[in-house]
Amino acid sequence: MSTKGTRYPIKDQVAIVGIGSTGFSRRGDRSSQAMALDASVAAIRDAGLTRDDIDGIVATGEPGAVGAHQLASGLGIAELTHHSKPAPVVMFSILDAMHAVFSGLCENVLVCSSMLRLPWSSQSAANDPFRRHLRSGVTAMPETVANAPAYAAWAGRYLHEHGVSREAFARVAVNCRTNAFDNPLAAMRSPMTFGDYHAARMIREPLCMLDMDLPVDGADAFVLTTAERARTLAHPPVLIHVATSGLVGPNDEDQLGSLAQHGQHVVVKSLKARSDIWLDDVDVYLPYDGFTIITVGWIENTGWCPPGEAGRFLAEHWVGDGDAGRVLINGRIPMNPHGGSLSEGGTRGTGHVREAVVQLRGDAGVRQVPGARTALITSGGFFFNSQGAILRRA
Amino acid sequence: MAGGAAGAAGAAGAAGAGGAGGLSDGELVERFSHVTVDRDTAAFYRGWLHHELLLNYCDDCGHWAHPPRPMCPACWSTKVTARPVSGRGTVHLLMLLHQGPAAPDVDYLAGPYPVVTVELDEQVGLRFTSTVTGCPAAEIAIGMPVELHWIDRHGAPFPVFRPIPEPGVTPS
Ligand SMILES: [Zn+2]
Repeated sequence: MSTKGTRYPIKDQVAIVGIGSTGFSRRGDRSSQAMALDASVAAIRDAGLTRDDIDGIVATGEPGAVGAHQLASGLGIAELTHHSKPAPVVMFSILDAMHAVFSGLCENVLVCSSMLRLPWSSQSAANDPFRRHLRSGVTAMPETVANAPAYAAWAGRYLHEHGVSREAFARVAVNCRTNAFDNPLAAMRSPMTFGDYHAARMIREPLCMLDMDLPVDGADAFVLTTAERARTLAHPPVLIHVATSGLVGPNDEDQLGSLAQHGQHVVVKSLKARSDIWLDDVDVYLPYDGFTIITVGWIENTGWCPPGEAGRFLAEHWVGDGDAGRVLINGRIPMNPHGGSLSEGGTRGTGHVREAVVQLRGDAGVRQVPGARTALITSGGFFFNSQGAILRRA
Repeated sequence: MAGGAAGAAGAAGAAGAGGAGGLSDGELVERFSHVTVDRDTAAFYRGWLHHELLLNYCDDCGHWAHPPRPMCPACWSTKVTARPVSGRGTVHLLMLLHQGPAAPDVDYLAGPYPVVTVELDEQVGLRFTSTVTGCPAAEIAIGMPVELHWIDRHGAPFPVFRPIPEPGVTPS
């Protein structure tokens, strides 16, 4: 792959200038389209733009989510020069949008991702007649580690290789829940203790109910434009310093080489090669947490601590009494201050990007990191959607 | 390469692979309707009918690869054939399902159901995922030596693993 000194002309050239969110809930009764339109209108207005300014739409391809062409029709947009439907997890959409802006194909691109609880993800969703069409025709079998079960299988390998307990997983989960209390958009704001974590029902052992993100309804939207135009708009510009995805081969869940070489390692190498900023200058850290093992992987693979030591690292940087609390790295840097996918809701990473923007604008209220100028986002898991970005306030 | 004339050529190839009385491609797909059988995985599933775990092997460079792909990822040769593996290996990944997809012989209420990824003896990193039978779930561990075994699933053979009996112990 390309390494340091490589060509990266897009650095700091594209900005996120609009954000809109419906908030997330485990009891939603709105359609995917209603939520997507709501978030999109909010993001365009937040940017101080109108629909006539939008010339590109990127809509993430979640099950049941509306496509970019449907959003264009729904928003009454007359013409687009780019539209696409990238695979899920947020950074594929951000990358596509920023590349469309930087190339000159578009001036202002709307990114939208709407999440819908699927019939197999919760009882209330299964009982909703308007979700019946989302039932999958494929009958999964138990004997597979494809997709979500992969994280339980590799979590077991992690515990085995390092001879550690589930402490790191517990701290990741408790941290998110503590933080979600201060986020009005979050689906789960009730407190969680370590006792709650260890008492939670096992689902795919060694992962329990509280190691998994929450199926939720809700939508996030963003507007991206050039850094130059961003300086003329209402909010302080939040620049995309660098953004990347990463993949290794083989990446089939059960054929992955090892925990020491997967997509997260490629992402970190790529970010370091292209960024002027690294961990010492980070003010807000937003690692993905679709499963707690993913966050543990990011903490170690990003280099906050050596492999196998996330539990010790989180304990050392823990703030709170023995029963609960949260992470504050070096007494300063919060981790997923919005509550992450584990407690805000399973946004596939849009929540992490939104929180980065809110923090860098200085609009995070009680969650605000004083003077935050740099946010590190590491999104996605180990296999097909490892991604990362560094955002900075101009 | 066979494969130009889909139906007839495929069926003839199938009879060759399966011996006299082998299933046609259409019958194979019907027999394994609970999984996705396509051109790349047909030989793999056909092997199940004969209690053979067939993984793709490169006749040019000797590289094994799974899941089945039509070209060798190591040398780009298309001389890839489904060959039997010994079925012996060690547990590399292990999880216990306390709930999960339904299967005829799986009762989550009776206790957590083990799912293992086994690293096969043939090649470092060559792995196959299934379950372990003939052993309490609590006794299965990463690093445990196992061997291939066959059970019935949806009326067709299904490859699983069982612990390799210790020397001197009569297998049950
Ligand atoms: Zn080869």
